Amino acid sequence: MASNKYFKHEGPWSDANDPLMCSDTGDWRTKRPVLDKHKCIFCGFCALYCPIQIVEMKGQTHFEADLSFCKGCGICAKECPKDAIVMISEGNFKK
Amino acid sequence: MTKKKGKLTKALDHLIHDDPFSKGVAFCPGCGLELLLRIIPRVLGNDIVITGTPSCSAPVLLGQNNRSWHTLSYFGTLMTGAAANATGLVRYYRKAGIENTVVCFNGDGTAADIGFGNLSGAAERNEPFIYICYDNEGYMNTGIQKSGTTPFGAVTSTTPHGARALRGKNVRRMNLGLQMAMHKISYAATATLSDLDDLAKKLKKAKEMKTQGFCFLHILAPCPTGWGLAPDHTIEACRRAVKTNYFPLWEAINGRIRMTRIVKKPKPVETYTRLMKKFAHLSQADLGILQDDIDYEYCVLGGLSVLESECRLALSDED
Repeated sequence: MASNKYFKHEGPWSDANDPLMCSDTGDWRTKRPVLDKHKCIFCGFCALYCPIQIVEMKGQTHFEADLSFCKGCGICAKECPKDAIVMISEGNFKK
Repeated sequence: MTKKKGKLTKALDHLIHDDPFSKGVAFCPGCGLELLLRIIPRVLGNDIVITGTPSCSAPVLLGQNNRSWHTLSYFGTLMTGAAANATGLVRYYRKAGIENTVVCFNGDGTAADIGFGNLSGAAERNEPFIYICYDNEGYMNTGIQKSGTTPFGAVTSTTPHGARALRGKNVRRMNLGLQMAMHKISYAATATLSDLDDLAKKLKKAKEMKTQGFCFLHILAPCPTGWGLAPDHTIEACRRAVKTNYFPLWEAINGRIRMTRIVKKPKPVETYTRLMKKFAHLSQADLGILQDDIDYEYCVLGGLSVLESECRLALSDED
């Protein structure tokens, strides 16, 4: 929770005390980022530039995207200096 | 386990606070605004108050169906009075003796067109708050109309390309950042998303300088939907905008301009324009006009950054 000392409510429109709204943005995705762990040099550019900020550190070895919210924009794959992330069509994963 | 050779990028060190937004937020894939909006509270802390206007950011910041996307405090205002409302908020906090950071977060439509009078007035009165303009070069939320910061030649729904010699926007863009720096406010700066280290430093500096007066940040945030840009090229577009001097990075403390990044060999503007569909129709002659305009703005900026010290030197010689 934020250190919201002044307002109990966000305003007339919204209330931050309720559970936050959250869309199932993982459904929008047409391509999914797949990481080659051997190529990853742990620079953190994918985590930095991800607009949704869902690429998380997994131990001290690699980063991994939370696929339930990933919109599949492909910024992580584009910005990776070692091309360790490849965008692969969702069709290959759904049966 | 093999040892990793790389080092974690330094920019991650600035992101020390929690992300107040929920994970699935209704922005387009690859949206520059979403990255910016999540970075600001992570750098400045979650105890800021954001005021904003109807824009792409409003559905998320204001909340929908009586529920909220985030846990920050938000004050929704009209476009015509964005900076004036923030002024009132700041004065309330000052009278009540509450230490707080007010961030007026608006798009270029509010900052450059509709609310420019307010912005200029607040800058002239030197009100102590941070005004952030995220510049996506158009009214993207209402269907990609042109705004004051839309560059020459860009296609929008009100400046189309087609028959009768229509070739996108026919006039040049205004340089909002420089206009605000010329108000001689405490802090004015430009930043973009490709250099988040620089952006975070400028945000922190704005929070520091805010105690002395008005702070203005002009941030280029590409809009993949409106610009006809591939969603994965958002950051690359910012990078090329800096490398071609289309969007030079500088800061001005009390009106003294200093370049924070000098590009030694600027690339032709074509390397930037070829990324996106809104410039796809431009002929070589049109690109020349755009290039001339960019060179002119950069020369003015570069001149201002060195002129003052030389001018003072010349003045002191006459004594």
